[in-house]
Amino acid sequence: MPIYGLIDANSFYCSCQRVFEARIRTAPVVVLSNNDGCAIARTKEAKQLGIKMGDAWHLIRQRPDLKGVQWYSSNYPLYADMSRRMYQVLESRVPRVEPYSIDEMFLDLSGLPYDLPAFCRELRDEVRAVAKIPTCIGWGPTKTIAKLANGIAKDRPELDGVCDLSREADRQAYFRELSIGEVWGIGRRTAEKLQRAGIQTIADFVAMDSRAARSMLTVVGARVQAELRGQSCLPLSEVAAPRQGLACTRTFGRLVDNWTDLREAVSHYATTAAEKLRAEGMTASFMTVFIQTNPHQKDTSWYANQQSCGIEPTSDTLVLITEALRLLRRIWKPGYRYFKAGVMLDGLCPAGMQTGLFQTRDPVKSSRLMDALDAVNGRYGRGTVRPLSNGLDRTWRARQAMLSPAYTTRLQDIMEVKAW
Amino acid sequence: MSGAYAGDRTTGFASPASDSTEGPIDLSEALDLHRPNRYPVRVVGDALAARGILHGDILIVDTAARPQSGCVVVARWQDQTIVCEITRQRGAWWLRSGKGQDAQMHPLDPAHDSEVWAVVAALVRMKI
Repeated sequence: MPIYGLIDANSFYCSCQRVFEARIRTAPVVVLSNNDGCAIARTKEAKQLGIKMGDAWHLIRQRPDLKGVQWYSSNYPLYADMSRRMYQVLESRVPRVEPYSIDEMFLDLSGLPYDLPAFCRELRDEVRAVAKIPTCIGWGPTKTIAKLANGIAKDRPELDGVCDLSREADRQAYFRELSIGEVWGIGRRTAEKLQRAGIQTIADFVAMDSRAARSMLTVVGARVQAELRGQSCLPLSEVAAPRQGLACTRTFGRLVDNWTDLREAVSHYATTAAEKLRAEGMTASFMTVFIQTNPHQKDTSWYANQQSCGIEPTSDTLVLITEALRLLRRIWKPGYRYFKAGVMLDGLCPAGMQTGLFQTRDPVKSSRLMDALDAVNGRYGRGTVRPLSNGLDRTWRARQAMLSPAYTTRLQDIMEVKAW
Repeated sequence: MSGAYAGDRTTGFASPASDSTEGPIDLSEALDLHRPNRYPVRVVGDALAARGILHGDILIVDTAARPQSGCVVVARWQDQTIVCEITRQRGAWWLRSGKGQDAQMHPLDPAHDSEVWAVVAALVRMKI
């Protein structure tokens, strides 16, 4: 019988901030979304103060009872590196690890010659000691059960961060207690539908006739039911599926009403998208550019548009910028205050696979220039050398007023320690 | 970097070293920076000068290593992250300041806000 585990970091982004700042180790910590918009990660101290997921920062920052809260802009280079450390620790102890999201990883615990509760406690201690991240682990015969077990480990402090659902009898007890909405893959809509049909708990759903489950919730729901019954339907995938498309879209730090700023922003997004392409060794053959005003702002006129076109397969920053600006020119309308823009690339293919019959550019020259660009930016930091079209002042950039240093990925940002 | 000359692809006489290029030494490899337990930190202050650790030095610290008496560690002490010596005396672990003769000691006690964060494993000084 297979055994899957799920290890999940507690308030991951906040925990990453705490690794490098001793003074916030017990303080309420909140990490904000891109552009310092709303709360996306909260420590338990912050949750106790009543801060909800998605609370807008500009609405709650002045609340007198939140004076002691430590706010942070999201620092993705740091979180990615800490996620990498967590993964490497796990990979050194567990045969197969699936990085499911930046802060949760599935583990293949099948056939390990250890006492699993003791092993999982050690694993948790090691992640805590090496990557400095607190976690919870749950496990069972399927991924869906492992995910549920993880949630139980998180919600019940008396379990000390681990929850074993590998035994049928243990599962039954929890299944009778927990609502169907707690299950991975059962969304709010589906849960409501089930509840209307009298299915309240997980036990009710597991006991439901499987043909009825399928006809009510399609094959997806039937699979969730089978997984909850202990039949594994979702295998572990160690590598992410190759990308179909790739996008770089952002909300601006302030509304943008002139062509120069908009052009710079779109040029910057094309640059970032091209970097992502090259990092994965891909080329793109289809591009979309879109712009829009704020749909929530009712007092000003609303406008949104997009344009797409096929392009000669490339990952060259300069070519992609040219194409993106050509598309932007077609949809740009003066007189609007733009709120968001983006560049999306599709038709991805491994570089070097497609050699067009009538190439209009020199691929060798292009790849040497891009290699040099990536090498400089890799060494001295993102954006050290960038096309002038990306702009110099870049006032449209997302707000990151409370950004912490990139403690582990930039030499000038590493943690300072006081000699004593 | 593709296309860079590394002693291999010569235009006239074939390089006898074309199968033997090894590239420059990679210090991040030598210092094990790819491992999850290695973190670079920067020293502030000269209190550990006697141990050869100066203000501005980069220390490579290891969060998986077991501290031994007399080694230099990065420690959490209340709201601070410090670098100091660790010592075992009278059956207990102590943080010891690096200031020679009249060195101060502080008991190591994770329950009371002092714990070892990592053990110092290597030192990098970019400018002499």
